[in-house]
Amino acid sequence: MKSTLDRLQVGATAKIEEVSTACDRAGRMAVLGFIPGRMVKVTRHAPLGDPISVELDGQEISLRRSEAAIICIREIQN
Amino acid sequence: MALVGNPNTGKSTLFNRLTGLRQHIANYPGITVEKKSGLLRLDGGDIDILDLPGCYSLTAVSRDERVVMDVLGGRQGLQRPDLLVFVVDATNLKRNLLLVSQCAELGIPALMVLNQCDAAKRNGLRIDAALLSKRLGIPIIETVATRGRGLEDLKKAIPAALEKPSLLPRIEWPECVQHGCVTLCKGLRDLGQGEVSQAEALRVLFDSDSAFACDVRDKVCLKQMVEDAHREIRGTGLNPGSAEAVLHYRRLESLLDGVVETSGPVARSHDSVDALLLHRVWGTLIFLVVMYVVFQSLYSWAGPLMDLIDSATGVAQDFARPLFGGMPTLESLVCDGIIAGVGGVLIFLPQILILFFFISLLEDTGYMARAAFLVDKLFSWCGLNGRSFVPLLSSYACAIPGVMAARTLSDPKARLTTILMAPFMSCSARLPVYILLIGTFIEPVYGPIAAGWALFAMHFVGLALALPLAWVLNKFFLKLKPQPFILEMPAYRVPTLRNIFHRMWERGREFVVRAGTVILAFSVIIWSLLYFPRDQALEEKTTQAFVEQAEASTTPEAVRAELENPESQLSLRLAHRIESAQIEQSYLGRFGHAVQPVFAPAGFDWKITVGVLSSFPAREVIIATLGIIYNLGADVSEGSEDLRTVLVNEKWTSGARLGQPVYTLPVVVGIMVFFALCMQCGATVAIIARELDWRWATFSFFAMTALAWLSAVVIYQIGSRL
Repeated sequence: MKSTLDRLQVGATAKIEEVSTACDRAGRMAVLGFIPGRMVKVTRHAPLGDPISVELDGQEISLRRSEAAIICIREIQN
Repeated sequence: MALVGNPNTGKSTLFNRLTGLRQHIANYPGITVEKKSGLLRLDGGDIDILDLPGCYSLTAVSRDERVVMDVLGGRQGLQRPDLLVFVVDATNLKRNLLLVSQCAELGIPALMVLNQCDAAKRNGLRIDAALLSKRLGIPIIETVATRGRGLEDLKKAIPAALEKPSLLPRIEWPECVQHGCVTLCKGLRDLGQGEVSQAEALRVLFDSDSAFACDVRDKVCLKQMVEDAHREIRGTGLNPGSAEAVLHYRRLESLLDGVVETSGPVARSHDSVDALLLHRVWGTLIFLVVMYVVFQSLYSWAGPLMDLIDSATGVAQDFARPLFGGMPTLESLVCDGIIAGVGGVLIFLPQILILFFFISLLEDTGYMARAAFLVDKLFSWCGLNGRSFVPLLSSYACAIPGVMAARTLSDPKARLTTILMAPFMSCSARLPVYILLIGTFIEPVYGPIAAGWALFAMHFVGLALALPLAWVLNKFFLKLKPQPFILEMPAYRVPTLRNIFHRMWERGREFVVRAGTVILAFSVIIWSLLYFPRDQALEEKTTQAFVEQAEASTTPEAVRAELENPESQLSLRLAHRIESAQIEQSYLGRFGHAVQPVFAPAGFDWKITVGVLSSFPAREVIIATLGIIYNLGADVSEGSEDLRTVLVNEKWTSGARLGQPVYTLPVVVGIMVFFALCMQCGATVAIIARELDWRWATFSFFAMTALAWLSAVVIYQIGSRL
């Protein structure tokens, strides 16, 4: 199922398909490892719902929902 | 040589270990990014080490990152280092090597430090350093910087690498990038940029904010060239925004093949701790407790130390006074100007040291990033972020350490906003004003519960105005690009006292040396405005009037006898009367009279106006100034019954409100709100100038003063009509 990272449930795993081109944050996200083909897992949401925390290539990264929204993903069902 | 690496790699620890206290902190030319350099003592001679700001890549988003490229490219008159020492976190090799791979383009000899090897081992990672070293073509030293392990090897490797330099192999770019670079090099040369290296061309190509791209004057032409190159890259199916990282990562995948081995499933130690510390309920509770401890320590525990400095200042003044027999001006300059000024600088030190103790502790353990994660939502709407919490909270004790603590914000826009909002938080120096006025006018009339609420409201009013102001400032005025708030959650680590004390020492020294001198200068200037001109005739005239008045109720002999004893009640009252008369005709007193019309719409008389004006260097001075003005001497406190009685009985002596009380409820509330919003603190102005620049400090000062005045006027005008 195609979606964006901000809509992923806690505990769900997904594969990054694309980081939206229109956004110049794409480069910065890519540096941290948000690049197509990698797997991300949403580990938790902050108590106030935003930001969210994800696991990416062995590291734990927190990002705001608005930033997660530019990452297109395909959810992996286990 | 220069130390280069990601944030949280232990780079600074290593730097401290290598240089000890032989460090020098300055700013990079033109900007307030810290330039930390130090000296490494080796048998063969000394080596200059530059500790570059931690960054994930060469992409210049923040000023810190721009500095890295400026130094490595040898731009802005900075000297290119002879050797790069990459500090790499062994627990996250791939991401750390991205920067290394990018830096290969620069063609500077390099050496790599594989730090936190112990943590990597605990995480079940086996790293074949020899194989990696062979593939990268540079020497690799394994270290555990916090324990000093591997340091001797590094000290041997550095001179060896300088003697026999080895270069990193460059990445092989695909045809489209190659071609883009060549075209850009040629195009930039035609624009008159001189010889452009491939490394610089790459930055222009992939990074529109790069220092180099900003230097090019013909923006339209440059944009066209970059767009052409991007179109070509897009044609091959790559996203030009992320192509650089994607290509580097692709290269690193093959470079690291066989180098890193994970034994079994990676059990990360911090998962279970995070489950607790980031828990919806428990995490929030723990956060509140931690912040309460930080705040209490600033607010209460610093108190005894500050009192100690205060009384030491008093002792020094008393000691110095008799040394200037017959030179009252010099005596006052040294005692009331210089010694008081030095005391006024040192008084901030306990809070700064305590706050930086906690900040280092929270950062080093890895909790700071978690705290920011927990509360980010509270601040994100107005352009601040989760990291603003600690600076703003500590500003409730004192804005000085708060403004300094804003350094922990890497996003320049959020940092700027946080610094500008910090002085709005109700610091402890405002408390005496609230206690005096609430205790005098609200508690006796409306009861202790109302007084409690009033005190609470006064602490809240600054915050309630500051956050919407931050929103307005960000929305309409700040032209800085908003930055993504992406935080790496570092692994939990045991902090070392050595690091923590180093940081406290560094910040404390910096405050005293840099901001302290400015604060001292302010102190002396204000002293002179209150002291000069000294009028001998006025003193005689006041004395004569006083004696005549005293003689009316008793015999001249009795008065003379009592005045001969300098300790007597009458002598003290005379001294206070003279002090009051002198302050009224001092430059600041005259100025108070002159600008009283400005404060008239807020219902202030000239005495309040002088009190307010003399509080601009430091707002806590108001109590002493009111004491002097009302003939009670400077030694009054906010709890003084005499002062309270005088305030309640104070009546207008002229004008339309002749005979009516000066301190009506709207005036009292107006004064308190004025103090809550006004930047009456020379030290804060100085520290903002130091952390940002003088333009922002001036802006902040005038904006806050105008806002405070406007609020006091609105409160008085509406309040007195109700």
